[in-house]
Amino acid sequence: MTRCVRAMCMSLSLLLGCTRAPAGGDDTLRLPLINDPIFNPVIAPDIGSVMVNKVLFPGLVRPDEQLRPVPDLAVSWQAAADGMSWTFVLRPNVTWHDGAPFSARDVKFTFDQILDLASGSRLRSDFSAVDGVDIVDSLTVRFRLKAPFAPLLPLLGYNAGILPEHILKGRKLTDAVAFNRTTPVGTGPFRIERVVPGASVTLVRNASYFGAAPGVARMVFKVVPDINAQVAQLRAGELDLITIEPANLGSVEGVAGVRVLQVPVVQHWYVGFNASTPMFSSPIVRRALGFAVNRQAIAAGVLKGYADLPGGTIPVALRDFYDSAAAPVPYAPDSARRLLASAGWNPGPDGTLKNAKGEPFAFELLVDKGNPTREQSALAVQQDLGKIGVRATIRTMEFAALVRDRVLPATYAAVLIWWTTPPDPDQYAFYVTGQDNNHVKWSNRTADSLLSLGRATQDPIQRRAIYTAFQRLERDDPPVLVLFYPREIQAASTRLEGIPALGIRDALRHSERFRFARQDTIR
Amino acid sequence: MIRFLLRRLGHGLFVLFVVSTVTFAIMSAAPGGPSLLADPKLSVAERAAIESRLGIDQPVTVQYTRWLGRAVRGDLGASFLYQTSSLSTIGSRLPQTLLLAGTALLLTIGIGIPLGMSAAARPGSRLDRIVTSSSGIALAVPAFWLGMILILVFAVWARLLPAGGAVTEGVSLGLLDRLRHLILPALVLAAAGCAEVVRYTRSAALTTLALPFVQALRARGISPARVLWRHGLRHALVSVVSVIGLQLPRLVGGAAITETVFSWPGMGRLGVEAALGRDYPLVMAVTLVVSAGVVVASIMADLAQMLLDPRIRTA
Repeated sequence: MTRCVRAMCMSLSLLLGCTRAPAGGDDTLRLPLINDPIFNPVIAPDIGSVMVNKVLFPGLVRPDEQLRPVPDLAVSWQAAADGMSWTFVLRPNVTWHDGAPFSARDVKFTFDQILDLASGSRLRSDFSAVDGVDIVDSLTVRFRLKAPFAPLLPLLGYNAGILPEHILKGRKLTDAVAFNRTTPVGTGPFRIERVVPGASVTLVRNASYFGAAPGVARMVFKVVPDINAQVAQLRAGELDLITIEPANLGSVEGVAGVRVLQVPVVQHWYVGFNASTPMFSSPIVRRALGFAVNRQAIAAGVLKGYADLPGGTIPVALRDFYDSAAAPVPYAPDSARRLLASAGWNPGPDGTLKNAKGEPFAFELLVDKGNPTREQSALAVQQDLGKIGVRATIRTMEFAALVRDRVLPATYAAVLIWWTTPPDPDQYAFYVTGQDNNHVKWSNRTADSLLSLGRATQDPIQRRAIYTAFQRLERDDPPVLVLFYPREIQAASTRLEGIPALGIRDALRHSERFRFARQDTIR
Repeated sequence: MIRFLLRRLGHGLFVLFVVSTVTFAIMSAAPGGPSLLADPKLSVAERAAIESRLGIDQPVTVQYTRWLGRAVRGDLGASFLYQTSSLSTIGSRLPQTLLLAGTALLLTIGIGIPLGMSAAARPGSRLDRIVTSSSGIALAVPAFWLGMILILVFAVWARLLPAGGAVTEGVSLGLLDRLRHLILPALVLAAAGCAEVVRYTRSAALTTLALPFVQALRARGISPARVLWRHGLRHALVSVVSVIGLQLPRLVGGAAITETVFSWPGMGRLGVEAALGRDYPLVMAVTLVVSAGVVVASIMADLAQMLLDPRIRTA
């Protein structure tokens, strides 16, 4: 028995001792994914796929650190004077990962697929203004539009990676299982090397990449669905860059070998009130509720300061369009009470606001289950509203059920949710009367015309003026109660350099820039 | 024997049918629907196109009949999330689950039975008290907590073992690398089952050791060790084997938490992902495979009991 135990101990120490894990294969960048990706940017909207596809499949343009479109597969472009078409000159001598030449045919093929619902396209609504793409010559394409469409460039640099016609032609994109799951072919700085289902995707440097030579030899995307496990692996030196929630800050701050970065992202988190219900149809009520919530406390307490305070629905990350002249919406509970009284809501004996019919101001606030930032924000909103006599009951639901059963059919009173948008101020789909994505059922004729004009106006100065007017209008008639603009919190190995100052998804459009510090680690 | 096997297999098929029907019904009734549709940015037309592509625009009964018709021919459909066929999706994960579950089972048996027997040999001794109390702790501690603590201690602080994954990605380091990745998740997965086996073994052995035949053996001057490890063990094993049989489904299907904490690419996590994403074909396939595993495991546990106890054979 003892001999057996001793032998076991010896073999265990052998196992533990002889191979200390190399603290990162020197030239391998390791990032987490939360799910197995599908390697096709047109049909895969999930976060895991989006991240890998940004590396494998460049678009015609990509966003720089100011979120302005700069050349990627296209080198130059020109809008027609009437704004009804755009001509793109493509980069010459680009090859696909399999060696085939890239040309205008691939661009046309990709957009034919994007516009065809039967292909399984998830990008059609992004490009609903596009009528079609014509090949001018082998390195020139022309986008025909149904109406002038200013967000075209930002959208081309967002999720619209270009697909290889020579491989995918002639069948449904969703049926190309081998391509989508194991052998994708793109034009990006890294090409596929190995896929282990449920575990990892390994990319290797593309020697014939058209841009600057990639700074690392390999990129490994490890499937690590649990964020606490991601943090542990970062601290153990098994991941190099992760994005975290404010709740995780305590486990990475002050840890040797880890640094914390933050970048504003194009998101607005908000409480949406269903404006088709009598309780929330009045702009005065929505404005009053906006004054009643202490956003500063939420940003400081729940988001640990990793957020910007909001004016309207256009986030501060869109530097060219955010209305920086106006101060954030203030916390003014007294104004809130006054406004609500003017709208007919007066406190009853127990402090709860009641209308003329004696009905209490009480409603259900939906929030998705499992995300601490959103759950805690919902609690803060509930408490702040309670202070002025508005009774919100929080109901947590699984995200899918919340969206499909309540938000899409608009069978809710209030919901705490967020929009992640392309780097453009166009919010036509979300806030114009009757649009599919206008889940809050907001309707304001002036806003409708401003948002229509905004997406049709090319001139940046005029455009800025239009969106400033929209943001001013939102002060009087808020479509939603914007809580904050979050900043993405990135935790990275101190050895990692060249991280673009962008949200992780946009940063991956520049994956050739990542590199490791050259102070060779001890083996 | 053959008749027994055939009868049990028949029962098994019936169980699978019932399980599949119930699962399909519950899944279709669950709120939310496939996560592919849970994108607030989808337009009405896009949603309709996806629903018709996945075939979920049909009534549930039609969907189930279609599914059953194909399932009988061995086609469990393609996963909504992964696009690959459900069976091959499972096939790519099953070996990892078998490796993890098999190791955990070996640990459960290899640690649980000897410890339980040793504790029973001297009830009330220091060893017995340590074994009993530590098995209580192992039963009470949740797997995700134990997993995170082990990761903190062995991967983050001591940097002796990897924090997750089944191999070091991007580098091939061979068998040793695999073993190093296996240690922590296998320990966590084995912990609760091991504690259960310890307790069952201990109490079964205590009962056995009080039986007259043991007194008789002792009276004949047979050494206490031989009485315990040869005669006592065999007798106690009969009930312990059925407990081990009950561990198998938990090891295969219930490893989701351990697999998530250690980002182990196994089937338990796949099942959870499928359920959360309402990936109907994959949920059905995982349920069927796991249920089939349970059926087979319980048949095997019965067979093992027959081998150990001649009285059951004739029954």
